Amino acid sequence: MASWLHYPLVDEDPDLDQSFCADLLYPTPNQSTTTSNTNTNTILRTSAVTELRPTVTAGASRPPIPPARRTELADSKGQNFVHFSRQKASFDGRLDQTEPSSSKSMVVVRESTVVDSSDTPGVAPESWERSASDIGDRGCGTMSCGALAGTCSAGAGGKEMMTCEVSVTSSPGCSCASPEPVLKPPAEDRKRKGREAEEAECHSECGPTLVRGLVRQDVEFESVEAKKQVRGSTSTKRSRAAEVHNLSERRRRDRINEKMRALQELIPRCNKSDKASMLDEAIEYLKSLQLQVQMMSMGCGMVPMMFPGVQQYMPAMGMGLGMGMGMEMGINRPMMPFPNLLAGSALPTPTAAAHLGPRFPIPAFHVPRVPAPDPSRSQATNQSEQMLNSLGTQHTGQPRFPTFVDPYQQYIATHQIQLPFQQNQALAQPSSSKPSSSKGPENLNNH
Amino acid sequence: MSSRRSRSRQSGVNSRITEDQINDLVSKLQQLLPEIRERRSDKVSAAKVLQETCNYIRSLHREVDDLSGRLSELLATTDTAQAALIRSLLLQ
Repeated sequence: MASWLHYPLVDEDPDLDQSFCADLLYPTPNQSTTTSNTNTNTILRTSAVTELRPTVTAGASRPPIPPARRTELADSKGQNFVHFSRQKASFDGRLDQTEPSSSKSMVVVRESTVVDSSDTPGVAPESWERSASDIGDRGCGTMSCGALAGTCSAGAGGKEMMTCEVSVTSSPGCSCASPEPVLKPPAEDRKRKGREAEEAECHSECGPTLVRGLVRQDVEFESVEAKKQVRGSTSTKRSRAAEVHNLSERRRRDRINEKMRALQELIPRCNKSDKASMLDEAIEYLKSLQLQVQMMSMGCGMVPMMFPGVQQYMPAMGMGLGMGMGMEMGINRPMMPFPNLLAGSALPTPTAAAHLGPRFPIPAFHVPRVPAPDPSRSQATNQSEQMLNSLGTQHTGQPRFPTFVDPYQQYIATHQIQLPFQQNQALAQPSSSKPSSSKGPENLNNH
Repeated sequence: MSSRRSRSRQSGVNSRITEDQINDLVSKLQQLLPEIRERRSDKVSAAKVLQETCNYIRSLHREVDDLSGRLSELLATTDTAQAALIRSLLLQ
């Protein structure tokens, strides 16, 4: 054992810790030497630990004590170790590990080895204990060195790895806090890798405390992190939903505003910036436009009808008027069969003009698209009926309105006689107000 | 109403008009549109209604233009006495 222990040391300087340190430090980059060291020390450790195991199992309350003792031991030869660890740290830095974590791992290693060595006193003599501790220190040092120099991610099986993995996976989100709890177990791991599995008891003594501490830490981290994540996820979800809603709402508003602007351009003399009044205006303008189109179509259709010579167009005219009536009944899309009607341009009678007059302020020969002065649909209906009546009376006895349904025929028939009066009335009062004109049929009935 | 007003920040143009008023007007407008009214569906967005209103107004403009052209043509072809009478009547 001593020979095994001193064998690597003999090569350079058996007693001097500095030289040992140097031996450790400088060959470390060299993979072969470190691995060989590791191997020898592994065997060493194995034997030592097999001897130590009984005591370790006997004293369950031991592990907490040894670190204090080890500090003394470490102090006695501390220089070497501290130096070593510091150098190791720098070496670790090259190995893509952060410095604090590597130093911590060293601390962990030292503690665990101390536990092993300090368990011996009852059984082994002082010298052996010393040597054992030496073995522990050096072995550990070389082992950790070799492990570090080898591969940090080498799959070291065992419970440690499990706990390590658990701790790693349990705190996935905490990137800032993970280095501590995550990197400690690997240190344990490396040491364990060096010792192999026969150390289970000892490790179950010293390991669990460490692991438990780590786990506790991890749990704390995890809980905090989990809370943070839960809170964060809900808030982010809510905020995202709100954002999406805001975005869609804004898009909708933009669309509406765009259409509003388009509408505003279509409505003449609409300088209202107000949305509601804009819509009001649009409604009124739409109504007036509808009425205007209706009236004009009727007026246009009326013109040939006044002429006796264009009776061949009467069916079309009737259809057009029927559509006009249907428009009031809900179809509302004025259809104008004008091309045929206007083919034979005829003299419009003053009656038609009188009916058109109040509705269509036609300057010269152009009909501007001006909104009618607040016309209402019912009035329009009445007036169109009125016009229809007038038409019917004018062409009494002639074949006309074949497309009309019976009610209209009846209606026309009942009012045929009074229509000359209506015509006169319309002529007499071309600019008669709407109420009077709309009341026309009723008045005629009374007459 | 007031709670909805706070929600309806209508891009600064008018913040006093409530959405209810706007909705009322839009539904009123919708009743005037044959394209939408024929659809018999209550779920029509305001933007759609406005778009249809624009289209409808344009079509009505076209019709009015067409009709006014025809009427003026019609009146122009009448003899002068009648045309004068009609014009006087129409201009009243």
